[in-house]
Amino acid sequence: MKRAAQPAETAQVGRSVPRLESWLKVTGRAEYVHNLRLPGMLYGKIFRSTVSHGRIKRLDVSAAQAVAGVYRVVTSKEVRELVPEPYYGPAFHDQPILALDKVRHVGEPVAVVLASDPHVAEEAAALIVAEYEPLAAVYDEVEAMTSNAIVHDELKPAGTFPDLKHLKGKANTNIALDFHLRRGDAAGALKGAHRVFEHRFRTQQVMHTPLEPLVSVAECTDRTLTIHTASQSPSFVRIEIARLLGWPENRIRVRVPFLGGGFGAKLYIKLEALVSVLSLLTKKPVKISLSMEEQFFTITKHATTFRIRSGVDRDGKILARECEVWWNGGAYADIGPRVTQKSGFTAPGPYDIEHVAVDSYALYTNLPPAGALRGFGIPQLVWAYESHTDMMARELGADPVEFRRRNLLREGRPQATGTVMRDAAIEKVLDRTADLLDWKKPFDRGTGSVRRGRGIAIGFKACVSPTTSLAAVSINADGSCIVYCSTVDMGQGSDTAMAQIAAEVLKVATESIRVVHSDTDVTPYDMATLGSRSLFHMGNAVRLAAEDAVKKLDQLRSETQLPADASVKDVFRKRYGMQAGNVLGTASFVPGYTAPDANGLTDNATPFWMVGASGVEVEVDTETGRVRVTRLINVADAGTPINPRIVETQLSGASIMQLGFTLSEKMEFDAEGQLRNASLAEYKIPGFLDLPGEIVNEAVVAEQRSGPFGAKGVGETSTFGVSPAIANAIQDAVGVRLTSLPLSAEAIYMAMQKK
Amino acid sequence: MQPFELVEPGTLREALALLDADDARPAGGATALMLMMKAGVLRPARLVRLAKLGLDGIELGASGELRIGATATLRALEKSPLVRAGWPAITRALHTLSNVRVRNVATLGGHLAHADPHTDLPPLLSALGAVATVAGRGGERRLPVESLYAGYLETTLKRGELITRVDVPALGKRRAAYLKCTTRSADDWPAVGVAVVLDGERQTIFVSAATDRPTRLASADAVDALEIEGDLHGSAAYKKQLIRVYVKRAIHEARSAAG
Repeated sequence: MKRAAQPAETAQVGRSVPRLESWLKVTGRAEYVHNLRLPGMLYGKIFRSTVSHGRIKRLDVSAAQAVAGVYRVVTSKEVRELVPEPYYGPAFHDQPILALDKVRHVGEPVAVVLASDPHVAEEAAALIVAEYEPLAAVYDEVEAMTSNAIVHDELKPAGTFPDLKHLKGKANTNIALDFHLRRGDAAGALKGAHRVFEHRFRTQQVMHTPLEPLVSVAECTDRTLTIHTASQSPSFVRIEIARLLGWPENRIRVRVPFLGGGFGAKLYIKLEALVSVLSLLTKKPVKISLSMEEQFFTITKHATTFRIRSGVDRDGKILARECEVWWNGGAYADIGPRVTQKSGFTAPGPYDIEHVAVDSYALYTNLPPAGALRGFGIPQLVWAYESHTDMMARELGADPVEFRRRNLLREGRPQATGTVMRDAAIEKVLDRTADLLDWKKPFDRGTGSVRRGRGIAIGFKACVSPTTSLAAVSINADGSCIVYCSTVDMGQGSDTAMAQIAAEVLKVATESIRVVHSDTDVTPYDMATLGSRSLFHMGNAVRLAAEDAVKKLDQLRSETQLPADASVKDVFRKRYGMQAGNVLGTASFVPGYTAPDANGLTDNATPFWMVGASGVEVEVDTETGRVRVTRLINVADAGTPINPRIVETQLSGASIMQLGFTLSEKMEFDAEGQLRNASLAEYKIPGFLDLPGEIVNEAVVAEQRSGPFGAKGVGETSTFGVSPAIANAIQDAVGVRLTSLPLSAEAIYMAMQKK
Repeated sequence: MQPFELVEPGTLREALALLDADDARPAGGATALMLMMKAGVLRPARLVRLAKLGLDGIELGASGELRIGATATLRALEKSPLVRAGWPAITRALHTLSNVRVRNVATLGGHLAHADPHTDLPPLLSALGAVATVAGRGGERRLPVESLYAGYLETTLKRGELITRVDVPALGKRRAAYLKCTTRSADDWPAVGVAVVLDGERQTIFVSAATDRPTRLASADAVDALEIEGDLHGSAAYKKQLIRVYVKRAIHEARSAAG
């Protein structure tokens, strides 16, 4: 080890411990599924639909089957022999393992070629011929509300979420879920308002772009199935594969090593059902590694339309707000219905508004499926409400920061659902952002063709609830410690954070702790690594499990009648007569939750709130519309950071990702639902040369009292404010307002010409 | 990608013979070629690697011209003190041409023969009056770089012909500049590339990226007449605006440039 071990008496929490896995990663020794090769393994190459909606009339795989080196070609017919109802999904059982009868988006998997040489499989897949009878298709989320083109003949809620059960069997609709919230009388209050503002905003479909594309390997024996997969949710994969196969969970093992990025792309179930079926059909290990291009057809972020209407009184106090949000879920629901509800209830923003109405709709369309992407729908909402709020302030001649301050949701006040805000440093985060941006100081507005502006935006998120985490902590006979948890380290630093939490309780050095990676045969259940929930939920479970281990060790010590300062080694030696045995502390953590009532109201919507604001300075080239972000400030309430350096890199990383979604990234579809830019050459994520000249990240002094050592999640927080802050700054610089993402140079230039 | 034969001839004669076959393609750095093969756009049976032909020299000719061997890498050009001293606009253009990993292996000959209008050196070398030497089994011919292009990914080279050398005339009192504009990320293919060479009052202007090949512009005011198509980089109207702005800026940069 190249790291110097820290003395155990140093506080472990609050220390910027270097990532425990850094050395493995920079020396190329970290385990990834992409590098896994098993003896006799077959590679699968997917043949995909070329139409966005159609009935499969003919599927001819004979030419592919005839290619030398092809082991087998598999279609839905063979899948069905093994799994009679081959539909999966976390919210709806709507997604077939391979297309059955119909295809519902371009790029949908239709057949798989298996070969021991992946190049042979690829060549052969290109020889498969499919004929489709075209069906009417729908692509726009608002049109999907009333379109005659229906994506699914009937809705099939999974039953996992009790509040979706009533949708079972519903036909002739593309609305997978509609969520409604009513508090006070928004319509009445808008009638009596001094001024009413209404705007409509749009966000585009984008992709997660993990640099390790999705990859899964399955291997089987007669009675067991092992899945090695780049997944954020191993426990869910086991449950879902067990359900599909009709097997008990203990015959399925899901192993997850490191991930090369996740961002929500690797959640729930993706390639796992397919490789499992292929392995069971062939009795051989089967691997499928997607190309970067194929990722665009697998999972994406919801495009949205958001209509927002607010009424203010003469003093600039927001009296009422109506929000209508349409989420473009693509052809399969994935977790979209959860996004619609769990994010939908924060649509009015972090403001104290007496009368609110929210209508949030999850829509099926004939585009690639959409799921969760770093923020779980919140960036789409903040984009709209913080653009809208800024436009109102400017129309009213008010300072945008002061206007927000006047309306801010403060500690102890009820949010739209009625849940009272606790440990949410909204005001502090806004103030600190304004300070770091020197909001009150004079600002150089540029000259000639370079105009400068600045903008600010603030958003918040309720952590998804209710969810469960279990953890175990072992103290070995030599005193060394192991943490068992199913949280997946996909680059966010969870191994290090969990080790710090355990080390703090066990009073040992973080660097001496070993964290065992997700393996459902070994590590206990966890809902998933998503939505910034792990540090809070799993962090609490690890803390409790470590405390349980300490308690059991103390018990052992007292049983052996050794003095309180006796070493761990001595305790075990005395108890077992040699260096043997261990104690295993266990714990589960499930925060309280109250389901919303018929009006969407609840007194306990979430275990904690995340608060994030961004402030930006931009330069706009008035001759081309090109925007350069010269300064980006990200401020967050992350509670009390366990590892300040990791908090900082999470804040900067999330904001840079959102910068791409703001300025350059967009999946471009033509009128037939064909994706025109499914490659990194034509879908542009930010590179180093696109980064702002200066990025400042700060976590305000705060405490999440229910969190482990005062901490809470931070992985998504700085995605919230970036997009609207930049749009607000562009208006400040050149006087034009864009309401649709991305904020392309052309859109800005054309808007300036119309001014 | 299907299997292919890779050959590395040691002489130009051998290379030309090996290329005189169906499904044979020359490979310089193969940076673009491999992408096209992976995408299935090209399916050659034989790749003829040109690295061992000894055509990678960068030197001054008798009339002060720059003689660049076709297999000189873009990185070697970028780092060449000769180029920097005599043709600094080429050095500057190379700094932002793709990325350093590509420049390390991509060759000048491949860069020109690929005929992708989004690449940087074809418009600049055209504006500088560079001349390519082309070898075929029937012998050599010389043609201006400007005349190399027939259209999008299409050259005027005949089957079995190879670019072996490019001569760039001495800059003398002329001033040159190349500017490009990307509309998505900084490392995107450009929406517009503009090369300008000023010789006293005389302006030579080439536009690329927005056009299907490097295209000579009679004057800075001739933008409206250009045939431009909209694509993912921008609409036709917007690209014309970018050309107007970048022609103006390139002229300004050439005027203020040291060379």
